[in-house]
Amino acid sequence: MPFDLTVLTPHLDTLLAGALLTAGVCALGIAAAFALATALGVLAVGGGWAGRLARLYVDVFRNVPFVVQVFFLFYGLPEVGVYIDAFWTGVLALGLVGGAYGSDVVRSGILAIEPGVVEAAKVGGLSRPAIIRRIVLPIALRTAIRPLGSVFVNLVLSSSILSMITLDEVTGTARGVASETYRPFEVYAFLLAAYAGLTYAVSLGIDALHRRLNRHMADNGAARGAAPGAMEGTA
Amino acid sequence: MIAVEGVVKRFGAHTVLGGVSLTVAPGEVVTILGSSGSGKSTLIRCINGLETLDGGRVTVDGLDVADPRQLAQARRLSATVFQLFNLYPHMTVLRNITLAPELVLRRPKNEVEAQARALLASVGLAGKADSYPGQLSGGQRQRVGICRALAMNPRYLLLDEVTSALDPEMTAEVLAILARLATQGTTMLFVTHEVEFARRISTRIVFLDQGRLIVDLPTDQFFAADGGLAHPRIRQFLSKMAPSSTVAGAPVSEILA
Ligand SMILES: Nc1ncnc2c1ncn2[C@@H]1O[C@H](COP(=O)(O)OP(=O)(O)OP(=O)(O)O)[C@@H](O)[C@H]1O
Ligand SMILES: [Mg+2]
Repeated sequence: MPFDLTVLTPHLDTLLAGALLTAGVCALGIAAAFALATALGVLAVGGGWAGRLARLYVDVFRNVPFVVQVFFLFYGLPEVGVYIDAFWTGVLALGLVGGAYGSDVVRSGILAIEPGVVEAAKVGGLSRPAIIRRIVLPIALRTAIRPLGSVFVNLVLSSSILSMITLDEVTGTARGVASETYRPFEVYAFLLAAYAGLTYAVSLGIDALHRRLNRHMADNGAARGAAPGAMEGTA
Repeated sequence: MIAVEGVVKRFGAHTVLGGVSLTVAPGEVVTILGSSGSGKSTLIRCINGLETLDGGRVTVDGLDVADPRQLAQARRLSATVFQLFNLYPHMTVLRNITLAPELVLRRPKNEVEAQARALLASVGLAGKADSYPGQLSGGQRQRVGICRALAMNPRYLLLDEVTSALDPEMTAEVLAILARLATQGTTMLFVTHEVEFARRISTRIVFLDQGRLIVDLPTDQFFAADGGLAHPRIRQFLSKMAPSSTVAGAPVSEILA
C-alpha cells in the first residue's frame, strides 16, 4: 500500500479532536506543574518541616511510575469517595509529577543566586513574599526555565499514557483509527507529527520566556559562569 | 541613634565579636578600622539584622533589631551599601533604586522615580536609568548602589568596604560622592581600608581588633601620638596600610612621622 494520507480524511475530525484534547490536558498540566514546581522549589530550599516535606514529596513522585500514579488517582481514589473525571485526573497527574521534577530545577536555580542580592532586598525591608516574587524567582527562573522546558516536553510525551484511563487523547484515538482503517503507517505518521508539533510549541513558549527573563546581560545573579554575552537578550 | 551594646557573635566555636559597644549619633560619620577578619563586616551585619546576635543588643532609634517587628521598622531607618554592590541583576538601574521605596515605604511611583533620576544625575549616571547592572562598570554599579540606599531617605547609612572591589579611578569616583554626603550631614557608619579618606571625612574612628573595640576616639585624637597611635596594634595596622593609601588626603607616612 502506498503512503496515502487521504485515507485519514474520514477520521480527521476524530484525530484532531484527540490532538486538541492532548493539547488542552497538557497546557493545563504544564501550568499546574509550573505553579507546583515554583512553590515546591522555594519550600525545598528552606529548612524546617516544610522544606523536608517538599523534598519528601519530590522523592516520592519521582520514584513512582507515572502510570501507577495515574491509576491510583483514577481507579484508587474513587474507593475512598474521591471522583475526578479522566480529563482532570490527567491534568492533576501531569501537574503532580511535573511539579516534582520541576521543583528540583527551580531549587538549584535558587541555590545559585548570589546571596548578597537577596541580602540587599532584606535590608531594604522587603517582606519575604516580596523577595520571593520579585527577586528570587525571576533570577532563579532565568537559568531554570530551559531545564523546566525539558520537564514540560516530557509531560507532553507522558500524556499518551492517559489513554489508559479512558481519556480520548490523541494516542488512544490514533490506535482506534489505526485498527479501524488498517492504515497504521498513515495514522501513526499523523501521531508523530502531532506530538512533534505540540512539543515544538512548548519549546517556542520556553524560548520566548527565556528571552524575556534574560533580556539583560547576565551578571551578579544566577547566571555566573555563562559565556560573556551568551545571555544577552534580543527582546 | 544606633546603639550597639555588648554585642557577641559566634560562628560555631569561633567568637567573632566578643562584646562590642558602639554608638552612632545623628550627624556623625564613624569609621570602623581593623585588620582583615577582625569582625567589621560582621558588626555591620549585626546592625542591619543580617546576623542573629549571640549576646548583647542592637537598637536603631530605640528599635531592637533582634525583634522581627522592630527590625522591619529599623530597616526603614538605615540603608546599606555593599562591597560587591549586590544590585538586582534582572532589574533596570531605575527599578533597582525605586523598588524598596515603592514597596516598603509605599511612596508614590512617580515621586520615587523623580527622586531616583535626580539621585542618578547627582552621581553622574543620568543616562543609565534604563541600563541593567550587567551593562555598567564596577564604579557605576557602586554609584547605583549608593543611589539605591539614598532613595530610602535613610537616617543612617551603613557602608562596608564599598570601594574595595574597585580600581583606584573608580574608587576615587565613589569616594568623592561619599565625601559630599558627609559634608551634607549624612550619618554614616563606614568600614573602609582607605585610611586617608576616613581621616578626612570621619568625626570618629573606632578600631576593631579580633572582635573587640579597642579604641573609639574623635578623628584627630585617633591620629594623635598620645591617642590612637599610642596603641601598638593601631600603629602596626596603619603602617601596613601606608603603601596603598594615596587616594585621598595626606599619605599615612606623614601621619606616622
Ligand atoms: N558566615 C560565617 N560563617 C563562619 N565564619 C564567618 C562567617 N562570617 C564571618 N566569619 C568569620 O568571622 C571573622 C570576621 O569576619 P568579618 O567578615 O566580619 O571580618 P572583616 O573585619 O570584615 O574582614 P575583611 O576586612 O577581610 O572584610 C572571620 O574570621 C570570618 O572567617
Ligand atoms: Mg569585611
